[in-house]
Amino acid sequence: MQATYARWLDVATRAGFAISLAAFLVYVSGAVEPFVPLERLPQLWSLPAARFAELTGEPAGWGWLGLLGYADYLNLAAVALFGVVTLVCYARIVPLLFAAGERLQAFIALAQVLVLAAAAAGFFTGGR
Amino acid sequence: MEAAAIPWWVWPIALAAVGFLIGIVAVLAGIGGGVLFVPIVGSFFPFHLDFVRGAGLLFALAGTLAAGPQLLRSGMASLRLVMPLGLAGSICSVAGAIVGLGMNTDLLQALLGALVIAIAIVIWRTRSTESAMVDPDALARMLKLEGEFRDPAAGKRIDWKTHRTLGGFAAFGAIGFLGGVFGLGAGFANVPALNLLMAAPLKVAVGSSALIISIINSSAAWVYIHRGAVLPLLVVPSILGVMLGSRLGAHLLASVPAHLVRWLVIVVMLLAGARALLRGTGLWI
Repeated sequence: MQATYARWLDVATRAGFAISLAAFLVYVSGAVEPFVPLERLPQLWSLPAARFAELTGEPAGWGWLGLLGYADYLNLAAVALFGVVTLVCYARIVPLLFAAGERLQAFIALAQVLVLAAAAAGFFTGGR
Repeated sequence: MEAAAIPWWVWPIALAAVGFLIGIVAVLAGIGGGVLFVPIVGSFFPFHLDFVRGAGLLFALAGTLAAGPQLLRSGMASLRLVMPLGLAGSICSVAGAIVGLGMNTDLLQALLGALVIAIAIVIWRTRSTESAMVDPDALARMLKLEGEFRDPAAGKRIDWKTHRTLGGFAAFGAIGFLGGVFGLGAGFANVPALNLLMAAPLKVAVGSSALIISIINSSAAWVYIHRGAVLPLLVVPSILGVMLGSRLGAHLLASVPAHLVRWLVIVVMLLAGARALLRGTGLWI
């Protein structure tokens, strides 16, 4: 079970690294236009997140999915992938634990999957 | 020179370099990296603390994800030990992240400075223990919190068990909450909780601490993403740097003298903590 988790973690993390690197190169090279111009960021990044969102028109919650055509939100998607790596690895070992008769560990893993899925869905933050 | 006058592209390069160095040190010291990243970047870079804390969580997350496979394969991290404690920590970290994003920035910065200085003192004063085999409590037996690993430095196989499981749950709940509030990896507390409280061997505590951080921060990170407190230009170069650094750190873990890393971490934390405290109290903006 531990070896399977390690293998999935390795693959998912390498993929996340490669995707983040590619998305970041697209972002800083200017190949794809960002939603907030890079040159404007130094005037904005010292503001609180709520004020930043107000001034830039950044959407709340999962609204950014509609802006994936912009380089900065493409990068946000790449970063968000790291937030699902653990969920995917846990989801992979749940059936292995049940098959091994480790019911208590399996239910703990399942509970962790649910907590991570709820956090990703915005359940704890009212969707934003 | 005013920070706003510096070209934007200087900052990602500086963040990648800082991330790489912290990545090496964090794995060797068994800390998440966020505990170094947040006070350093929050004090010496021009970004608002909201974005720094969001980046800190993702930074610690990426670093520990990168180190995880090596630590699991070597037996220095135990998934069996990590799973129940990580669940308690991840639930509390969400609550911490919500509380932290609602707090006044100056107060948060001052508290962060005080916390980081306190953590440095705790790391300085704490003596690790290569624990003898303990008698596991009923919960530890039920959860099978035990294992074995081969220690290359000692050249022998070590069997281990843990105890004080309920205390461990309470400790990881508190650690997760603080990690969520301040955007820290909270490995500073994971290692003593696993080693001193629950009696896991030091190397298992360090390795498992990294894996617990990856679980706790995965849930808290979503709160920051949903609240718009994740700035890709800040996060991506930092996490790319830390992932490379962490992989190197995980390979060096078995051979590097732990006391040198420990002292380096203490000095850096005292400096960054003092800076954050002075900034938060308005004494040195």
